[in-house]
Amino acid sequence: MPVSAQQYLVPVISNDEIIADHRVLTCYAPEVAALARPGHFLNVSVGDGYDPFLRKPFSIYTVNRERGEISMLFSIVGATTRGMAKKRAGDEIDLVGPLGGKIFQPDTREGATHVMVGGGYGVPPLVFLSKELLSAAASTNIEFIIGARHKDLLLCEAELAEAGVTARMTTEDGSHGMRGRVTDALRVVLAELGASPVTVYCCGPTPMMHAVSDLCLEVDVPCQLSVEVGMPCGMGVCMACVVDLADGRRVRCCTDGPVFAAGEVKW
Amino acid sequence: MVNTSVKIGKLTLRNPVMTGSGTFGFGSEMSEALDLNALGACVVKSTSREPRLGNPTPRIVETSSGILNAIGLQNGGIDNFINEKLPFLREYDVPIIVNLVGYEVADYVYLAERLTEAGGVHALEINISCPNVKHGCDFAVDPKLTFELITALRKATDLTLITKLSPNVTDVVSVGRAAADAGSDALSLINTLLGTAIDIRKRKFRLANVTGGLSGPAIKPVALRMVWQVHQALPNIPLVGMGGIVTAHDAIEFLLAGATAIAVGTATFINPTAAIDVAAGIEKFLEEQGIEDVNELIGAVTR
Ligand SMILES: Cc1cc2nc3c(=O)[nH]c(=O)nc-3n(C[C@H](O)[C@H](O)[C@H](O)COP(=O)(O)OP(=O)(O)OC[C@H]3O[C@@H](n4cnc5c(N)ncnc54)[C@H](O)[C@@H]3O)c2cc1C
Ligand SMILES: Cc1cc2nc3c(=O)[nH]c(=O)nc-3n(C[C@H](O)[C@H](O)[C@H](O)COP(=O)(O)O)c2cc1C
Ligand code: FES
Repeated sequence: MPVSAQQYLVPVISNDEIIADHRVLTCYAPEVAALARPGHFLNVSVGDGYDPFLRKPFSIYTVNRERGEISMLFSIVGATTRGMAKKRAGDEIDLVGPLGGKIFQPDTREGATHVMVGGGYGVPPLVFLSKELLSAAASTNIEFIIGARHKDLLLCEAELAEAGVTARMTTEDGSHGMRGRVTDALRVVLAELGASPVTVYCCGPTPMMHAVSDLCLEVDVPCQLSVEVGMPCGMGVCMACVVDLADGRRVRCCTDGPVFAAGEVKW
Repeated sequence: MVNTSVKIGKLTLRNPVMTGSGTFGFGSEMSEALDLNALGACVVKSTSREPRLGNPTPRIVETSSGILNAIGLQNGGIDNFINEKLPFLREYDVPIIVNLVGYEVADYVYLAERLTEAGGVHALEINISCPNVKHGCDFAVDPKLTFELITALRKATDLTLITKLSPNVTDVVSVGRAAADAGSDALSLINTLLGTAIDIRKRKFRLANVTGGLSGPAIKPVALRMVWQVHQALPNIPLVGMGGIVTAHDAIEFLLAGATAIAVGTATFINPTAAIDVAAGIEKFLEEQGIEDVNELIGAVTR
């Protein structure tokens, strides 16, 4: 499958810190906004010359198609994200995308409940997915679980509340919401939902996704995982981003994924 | 109108710009990003007899102005290429060059025969030089083995043969000469330079394979020197120059050093349209400089 590897140099509209070392960068990119779907990502360069050399992938967080705006939520960890943090309104940012082959596929079963489980910068694509589902049908059932080590690291609670979604928060130290991990909250949610149709969508740190995947397989609930591995090209041409599947195939995360079903991935 | 077309063996390319094997997938992946017909030629990922799973991850790490890769030639094998990839490529009006890799002469001969029969393939690039797999370097470091391999391939196919040289040798000219003597129509160079990188906090190698091949702007001066050296020694065989080409400026340096065509590899990862941008940039340079034919540039560097 060819990908839409178009390059855009677009103006930044805003760039705000939301919690420590995490920012939301909004830019004017109408072509990207028109194509972007939940699970897509953008390959960003802030490179001055060849440093850093490669682009880095970031999930699409919010999309405003009328205004032609998109945003990314990023955590400052290295050269690209430090460069992104310095961008001010009016500066330009260099993007390629939207990228991604298999993205989130909403459960279309009658009365299905969509359970989002996110951690860290895995939360933003799930917020996008929830908003898309709600704008297609306001009555969509959404459960949202967000996990973090500590309350100061929890993301997107207010953004979700604005969209009418009350997220269940879990913190490992109990500083906010339920004490424990997302899987503890997920067990509760799945028990509440009983035998009704449910799909879990998960994006977050790999150990979290592994645990959520195991739980969903154990209780036999379909689960879609947005897998994170290093992606040097993001376009399916370098073969560096491979993921081993349970059936023995070794596929590219960027264009054969990044969304895989639990059970499909060999951990 | 300036002439941008060049000849490599039996092939006439509309411009001197090819893609670097392993950096452009099988063409289909990039077909939305750019018009494949605007390329001089489309060179696809190394293809082997049997499918290969390649190396463990991490397979690519960033270094100063470049990357190290140890993909390990992951590919779906020749049957998959002919059945799944080639039909798509046949729809385009661009020379298709398939890069071959094998363990022994018989593998290469088998692949050449299959691809000659298949139709729709215009040339074969013979990868005798991949540094990231066991036995991958056997041919490239030895002129005698290279001669035997290319002699066997020359008997097996009428397709244009391009032998891809490794920079990881003491004397690149002698390997190039052996390939030329055995009937290779052209030489391409360079493949990646063997290197490594270390995570100082973890005290571990950053690539799972420990070593990998360096590519990107970091290797351009080395590649340019090697192209010039081989062109000096073997002025009659066309060269496909590559190694760190990002801009038309880079490409024109390679043409002046003696390359008839060039390939854009790693640059595609950063700029998906790098190859066609380089082609357009070469044409613009010719117009600006009042040069009627790109062939005037080939080997035209003076001291
Ligand atoms: C599909 C996908 C979607 C993503 N979405 C988001 C998102 O929405 N928001 C977000 O914030 N991130 C996201 N990421 C992650 C993001 O792409 C990476 O964190 C990216 O590497 C950041 O780039 P950087 O240049 O700032 O940091 P880098 O320099 O790449 O550093 C990243 C991490 O690697 C470590 N590191 C750097 N250099 C070395 C070295 N030499 N040796 C060992 N470790 C090293 C750093 O300490 C840091 O922890 C996503 C990743 C994928 C694959
Ligand atoms: C990720 C990656 C994969 C590659 N795979 C192959 C390959 O399969 N066969 C081959 O002959 N060369 C392969 N190469 C080498 C390139 O074709 C090229 O010779 C080299 O990268 C130098 O050019 P560049 O600096 O423009 O990338 C690969 C290079 C990279 C970066
Ligand atoms: S990142 Fe290059 S193939 Fe996926």
